[in-house]
Amino acid sequence: MKPPAFDYVVADSVEMAAAALAEAGSDAKIIAGGQSLVPMLNFRLLRPSVLVDINRIAGLAGIAETGNAIRVGALTRHYQLETSPVVARHLPVLSCAMTHVAHLAIRNRGTIGGSLSHADPAAELPMMALLLGAELDIASTSGKRTVAARDFLLGALTVDLAAGDIVTEIALPKLPPNTGWGFEEVARRSGDFALAAMAVTLTASDGAIAQARIALTGVGPTASRAAEAEALLVGHALEPRLTSRVIGAVRAAIEPATDLHASSDYRRHLAGVLTGRALAAAWRRAGESIA
Amino acid sequence: MREAQRFQFVSSDRRVREDRRFVAGQGRFAADIALPNTKHVALVTSPHPAARIVAVDKTSALAMPGTHYVLDGRELAEASLVLMAGLDTPNVPRRPLAAGVARYSGEWVAAVVADTRALAEDAAEQVYIDYEPLPHVLDAEVALSAGAPLVHPAHGSNVLLDRTFVWGDVERDFADSPHRLAFRVKWGRSSTIPLETFTVTASFDPWRDMLDVWASIQMPKFPDQIAVALKMPASSVRVHHDVDVGGSYGVKRGIKHAVLAGYLAKRLNMPIRLIEDRLENMRGGDAHGPERSFDVEIAFDAAGVIRSMKMRALDNMGAYCGRSALQLGKPIGAIVGPYRMRSVQYRAIAVTTNKTVQEAVRGFGQAPTNYAIERAIEEVAGRLSLDPIEVRRRNFIRAEEFPYTIPSGSAYDSGDYHAVVEKTLARSDYTALRAERDKWRARGLLAGIGIAACLEPSGGNASFEALLNPQNTTTTWMESCRIMIDTTGSITATVHTTSSGQGHETMVATVVGEVLEIDPDRIRIVRPDSLSSLPGNSPVGSRMAIMLGGAAFHAAQKLKARLIAIAAHDLGIPPERAVYRAGDVSDRADAKRLRGWQELVTIAHRNFHRLPPDTEPGLSVSHIMQVPTGGTLPTPDGRVHMYPCFAFEFHLLLLTIDPELGKPEIRRYFVGHDCGTVINPKIVRGMTLGGIAHGIGAALLEEFAYNEEGQLIAQSLMDYLLPSSHEVPVIEIVEHVTPSPHTVLGQKGSGESGYLGAPAAIANGINDALRPLGIKVDSLPIRIAALGDMIAAARDRNG
Repeated sequence: MKPPAFDYVVADSVEMAAAALAEAGSDAKIIAGGQSLVPMLNFRLLRPSVLVDINRIAGLAGIAETGNAIRVGALTRHYQLETSPVVARHLPVLSCAMTHVAHLAIRNRGTIGGSLSHADPAAELPMMALLLGAELDIASTSGKRTVAARDFLLGALTVDLAAGDIVTEIALPKLPPNTGWGFEEVARRSGDFALAAMAVTLTASDGAIAQARIALTGVGPTASRAAEAEALLVGHALEPRLTSRVIGAVRAAIEPATDLHASSDYRRHLAGVLTGRALAAAWRRAGESIA
Repeated sequence: MREAQRFQFVSSDRRVREDRRFVAGQGRFAADIALPNTKHVALVTSPHPAARIVAVDKTSALAMPGTHYVLDGRELAEASLVLMAGLDTPNVPRRPLAAGVARYSGEWVAAVVADTRALAEDAAEQVYIDYEPLPHVLDAEVALSAGAPLVHPAHGSNVLLDRTFVWGDVERDFADSPHRLAFRVKWGRSSTIPLETFTVTASFDPWRDMLDVWASIQMPKFPDQIAVALKMPASSVRVHHDVDVGGSYGVKRGIKHAVLAGYLAKRLNMPIRLIEDRLENMRGGDAHGPERSFDVEIAFDAAGVIRSMKMRALDNMGAYCGRSALQLGKPIGAIVGPYRMRSVQYRAIAVTTNKTVQEAVRGFGQAPTNYAIERAIEEVAGRLSLDPIEVRRRNFIRAEEFPYTIPSGSAYDSGDYHAVVEKTLARSDYTALRAERDKWRARGLLAGIGIAACLEPSGGNASFEALLNPQNTTTTWMESCRIMIDTTGSITATVHTTSSGQGHETMVATVVGEVLEIDPDRIRIVRPDSLSSLPGNSPVGSRMAIMLGGAAFHAAQKLKARLIAIAAHDLGIPPERAVYRAGDVSDRADAKRLRGWQELVTIAHRNFHRLPPDTEPGLSVSHIMQVPTGGTLPTPDGRVHMYPCFAFEFHLLLLTIDPELGKPEIRRYFVGHDCGTVINPKIVRGMTLGGIAHGIGAALLEEFAYNEEGQLIAQSLMDYLLPSSHEVPVIEIVEHVTPSPHTVLGQKGSGESGYLGAPAAIANGINDALRPLGIKVDSLPIRIAALGDMIAAARDRNG
């Protein structure tokens, strides 16, 4: 469990990192927190010729509030999101989700940009990016671009990053007023990757749901939104028969994998149960926010 | 019955002296041994569960930078003897590297030596092995069946052991009983997972003809086994006992590692270090635990009193067998648990399969058997609609019946099972606990109370060796201690084996201090190397408090007697008139006539003219301790007294299961524990708490799972799930002391405590929670997904 030999470049600016990545071609990897990358190197599942270390790039970490969004630097550590008062005020569902990301030691080191770029099928952050409609700023030697999370996450461990691209910042729109949220996750142990996790926001207006968002992880090749289920909710108040139909729509929309820890059927079952619980919590909170 | 004693140092809540260096990160482990010019080993492993090794091409590997050598199994097999087997199975040869045939996925096939471990791994990728895959077998029942692929064709079958013992008139007791029931349960393949993987450094000095070995071992007769395998005189193998071991609970046997490293050190004349990485450890470290299925039949009366039991235990050994098959033998020493049964039939079967090799794991096979016995009690209670605690009470051996000889020949030393149960029920407020269960049920959760009572046989004499292997006539399993007083009056006592965290230093200092009435903190403990050691074994089988503690006690008594004799002679009084107090000796008739500690030391070391006749100069005494109550061979019908002491534990817990998720949560946990006199309470509590955490893992999380292709799919700690602090609840220990009549202070073993009953208690608790649904779980570990599926299916059926 020693990594294969690689060259190591410490970048002190995004430009320098982009140049180093461009020079190495498709054979380079960015190392930030290293919480997924280093085990993969040690198992020799990855054999990059160059590691570009971005940990010392100034200004790449931090959380800022700008009008309608929270902007998070790619090098921000998980615990910073978890404990941020700004996030807690505007995106409480994210604060909750972050407590489910692995263990404290990992949250101290792992980064937001790293987790999104890695896109583990059972990780929380890709799901939260989808739920919240995040946009990712991406830099390379050929310039900058901005990509919506739904276009960024392509499949299992696959994202819209070309060789030489670096995620630099993530913009998370604040939740609208009168929005309640729910987050539910089941893992075999506390801190493990989710067997299934669901996050919901419901925005209420005149006693009915004006906007519904449901995001899932652990139940498919990548995190996803349950668009059909969301559509069922809009225009209605939450009640048991509606919840059942939404659960049915969520279960119908997913094709979870079977592995050592859980069967596909169990994960589908869980996705439904957790949807019901997250919906109930979101609806309750939406009501409280109005009151 | 022996009364509990009061002591000066023993049983007081003193600091554990070893903890200081570990907490400060100052342990000295085998990997801290840094010899100049040390080379590092990486292993090439078989990707196939069964394959003929056609050719090994080392050319590219040897051309890699920093690479010194590639050793294949054929070379090592020609140069060494096979590793020791626990059973008489000469056609099941076990070697450090596969020779000719690889028999499990992950088996070590070649070893690469390079300047660093990373370079060795680079070169290991360049060793090209031509395999011809062979049919494989993974399941123990399949391995038993006709036509199954043979793991060792020369052995003629996959059966390593198949022996049926009948103790008492089982058939009559079954025929006479009004009630009978039968069930099958399975114990999954898990183990103890040490933080430190197995580590060995070996260095050969041809000018002194000496192989020095530093290893993270917990292995009886380790130096001798290395010497025999490498065809060296045992006096040329020096194992250093003064290394700390980073966890073991049985598995740190490392004989194949040490023979491999020793051979390379000698062959290359370079110090060799082999540190398993986690993958090598989990797949090829030969450290899996029992994987056992039980078919149990119980005969009982209308009151729930059990008369007889038939048990068939089938264990999946994996591809080879060291001592692991003997784990079917240890439970014979407590085959009826804490219960009175008139007769028992026990059939023990061990088979080879194409899985990783087993090693000893905490309890040496006792925990799985306790799980089966405790399930039997629950089944009887369920059949008769009796309270399961009441059924246990009716079957427990009573305090006044000790010593109590069970059908298989062991005489239990002492105990008061009823008292421990009552004490634990009182502490837990059992009535309130049941009310709490019912409250959770009313809220829509499944809730259950889990119960298990069991024994920890301790201080073993290894009689299972002779019982299961007629070639083996071992009737002693000694441990030793030497105490030396230097000319300045300082005290040094010795331990002649490694520690894997048992706290021997604290324990020996406490016992010697107790006898000599001297502060244990003033007593130095050292571990001589194997060539300077008195006879001993190792800290296995919950034996060190009994055996090392006993040796230290007797050695200290000898020292005290020597000091009294010297003083009496010098004072001109008969020894009976001499009074020893805290190192000083005075005349009972005149307390002012006194010889102080330092004066006695000076007489012993310097004043031969003042010593009693025929007294050796200096102050050094030693004691080699035989196992109390040990020393006899099994009878031809398979009865043997196996352990001197039997500690008792009673587990009581409350758990809930969210029925929609299937995830159990342990909410309350109590354990009543009686291991006789406790020498150091902190050490014993630590053992028990760790044992319960380990038991939670075995019951709910830990499993070396394989796919049908014979690949181990739990290859890292992401998939082999250890309980963390989140999964282990607060545990309340309820202490009780019934001293053993056979040990110097009344102590019994406790190294396996907690683990021996926790899996049974958790499984019983889950079944209590599931009872309203009419379903049961019958195998461990109980995965939440499986539980969720079962509950969902039952709810669908029940509407």
